[in-house]
Order: sequence, then structure tokens, then C-alpha cells
Amino acid sequence: MKNVKAIETKSNTPMLIIVGVLLVAVLGGWWMYSSSKSAPKTNTANANSTSNSAAANKPKTASIPPGAPPGANPPNQAGSQTASVTLEEFADFQCGSCALTHPIINEIKSTYGSRIHFIFRNYPLAIPAHDKSYEAAVAAEAAGLQGKFWDLQNLLFNNQQAWTAAPTYKTIWKDYAAKIGLDIGKWENDMAGIQAKSRVDADMARGKAIGVSSTPSLYINGNAVPFAEATVSGLKKLIDAELASSNPAAANAAPANAAPANAANTAK
Amino acid sequence: MSTKTTIAKLPVAAAIVALAGLADSVYLTVHHYTAEPVPCSIIEGCEQVLNSQWAEFQGIPLAAFGAAAYFVAFSLALLTVFGDRRTWRLYGVQATIMAGFSGWLIYVQAALIGAFCQFCLLSAISSIILFVIFIASIFTRSAAPEFESEQLLETD
Repeated sequence: MKNVKAIETKSNTPMLIIVGVLLVAVLGGWWMYSSSKSAPKTNTANANSTSNSAAANKPKTASIPPGAPPGANPPNQAGSQTASVTLEEFADFQCGSCALTHPIINEIKSTYGSRIHFIFRNYPLAIPAHDKSYEAAVAAEAAGLQGKFWDLQNLLFNNQQAWTAAPTYKTIWKDYAAKIGLDIGKWENDMAGIQAKSRVDADMARGKAIGVSSTPSLYINGNAVPFAEATVSGLKKLIDAELASSNPAAANAAPANAAPANAANTAK
Repeated sequence: MSTKTTIAKLPVAAAIVALAGLADSVYLTVHHYTAEPVPCSIIEGCEQVLNSQWAEFQGIPLAAFGAAAYFVAFSLALLTVFGDRRTWRLYGVQATIMAGFSGWLIYVQAALIGAFCQFCLLSAISSIILFVIFIASIFTRSAAPEFESEQLLETD
């Protein structure tokens, strides 16, 4: 009994330990946060970026590791799934460079048609300037649930300047949704639901596992495309080389002028 | 001797487990704000879980609530170690709530997200261990009523 009393003697020791643990937790957390911030981190090659060469020089995983998560399944895809060349794009709807690359990709899709397999991945960057990018990706995926992913994706990229800083962006998106003939009620429900978000999350998980740190990030047959090559001629050169290595005859074939199968292959 | 030793060791064990849970939760909280990918070596789907709609509540990462909960559990267990036996009951309430919430989070990962995050599972396991320690203390105490009256229920 006395021992118990002795133990219970008022002591500052437990309070000192508790305060010490609190300090270690807070300071440790702050240290991890600061270390992470000082390390080379997410970058957005957006329209405000002044240097393309800087973006090109950023370290990037050279190729997609085989064990990377698959991303949304089925992906938002165009062209032929059996094509020997796969072009995979990771993009963010609020990224200026992504909007600039969008017509380039569309041209590539038109030029190569079913000779390539194009996959679009959502990769909304978690940075303050991109406060609507995740929501935009979910909106596009929700449109995809009605077979209209590419329609809304086109409108979001083509009109990026109109909504990206607008407080009424949701009204603007709603106008887009009406314009492409979406069932607005279902689209809004799907935006709030888990299915569209899960698809975006799955794409992001894939991008993160690969090491995507900027947008747009392009991969041809799993190999990273240098930022400087993200032009129509640069991409054609790389794609032609891949086609030639897999099937020399196909590389010399006339470019398909049919529209890519972007509507038919919209994500379910 | 062995029963008393076990009873004395349980709050110590609880404090250590709570510290592990605290470290895990702080790590996940920092990850939430830096948006850095977390290592996902044992299982796949960490980012799917950590970027899901369940990862935060009212704009605050769930991991931050977890860190606060583990800190409280640690403090209560430590106070018990230093002789304030009343806090063990509060610890029991805290551990029960945490274990219940962790069970729900495991359900969310399995049924609603369809992916698991190893750091979230580690946190859930820590919570469940904290709860098991409390339950163990109840059973051990019933096996030593004398000890219960002298130590665990001593409040003066």
C-alpha cells in the first residue's frame, strides 16, 4: 500500500514525458513536412511556367515499371487496344501545358487512328493553384459514366481559361454538360458518388507509382517522352519509330484519317 | 507475482503501442499535406485509400484525428503507469472508441474503396491492440481481486 502511495506521489515526470512526446510528434511532423517541401517536388508545367527546358530537365522515371497499379479500368482510351504502340498521357485539367498539348494529342489520335492505343489518365496535381483540378477530373469521369468523357474533356481543356479562375465554374461546367447532352441530374449525382472518384484515384495511384511529377507526362510503350518531344512532329517521330520496330509495314502505311475511336471506347 | 507483473506491464505496453500508432498517424498526416506518395510495398492501393473521400473529415485529414487519439491514449496509459489508476478507465473508453472506429475504417477500405493502405492497417491494428490490452487488464484484474482493490481501484 505504501508503495502504491509512493508511486502516486505527485510527480512531474509523467507530464514531462507527455509534453516531451507531444513536442517530438509536432517537431517530427514539421521536420518531415519541411524535408518533403525542400525536396524536388510536384511541378506543374503550366502556362505560367517560363521555361520548357526546365521542365524537360526534371528527373522523371524513364519507363513505367511492370508492377505499377493499372489505373482506372477500363481506362479512357481511343484507337485500338491491340495496337503495337500505346501512348499514355497523364494530365491535369487546370494545367496550362496540358491544355496546350490537348490539340497536339488530338492530332496524333486523328493521324494514327487505330494504329495506336491512346490512354488518358487523370493526374490532378495537389497544389493550391489547381484547386479545381481534382473536381474537374471527377466531372469528366462522371460524364464518362454516360459515355461522354471525351466530350467534356475537350470542353474543359479547350475552355480552360474560362473556368479555371471563375468562382462560378460549376455553373460553367453545368453549361458544358448541357451542351453535350448529359443527364444533368445523373451527372451531378455521379460527381458526388464514389465511382467517378475511384477512377480518378486509380489513375492517380498509377501516376504516383510511376513517379509522375509534372503534367502533361506522356509515355510511349511505357517509356517517358521528354517534354521537348511533346509536339506533333516529336510524337510522330517517336511513334513511327515504335511502329517501325514492331511492324515495318505498318509504319509505312498511309496515316488513318478516320477519327479515333474516342466515343466508342469511352469509359463505362 | 505473475498476475501483478502482468497488470503492471499492461499500461506500459499500451503506452508503447500508442506511441507506434502516434508515429504512424503523424506520418500519414504529413503525407496528406505534402501529397507525396507513400511507400506501398506490402499491398497495393495506398494512394487510392489516402486520396479517397474518406481520407478527411471537414477538410482535416483523418490521420490527424488518429494522431490526436493516439496521443490521448498514450497520455492516459502513461498516467496509469505512474500510479493514477483512474485514468485507466478513461483509457478503456478511448481504446474502445478507437478500436470501433478502426473497424469501420477497415470496412471502408474493404467494401467501399476496394483497396488497402498498409499504414492505415497498421494504425487499425495498433488501435485493436490497445483495446485488447484493456480487455486483458479487466480479465487479469478479476483473477487478482486483492490487487484490484489495492492498486487498480486506488484513487486517493
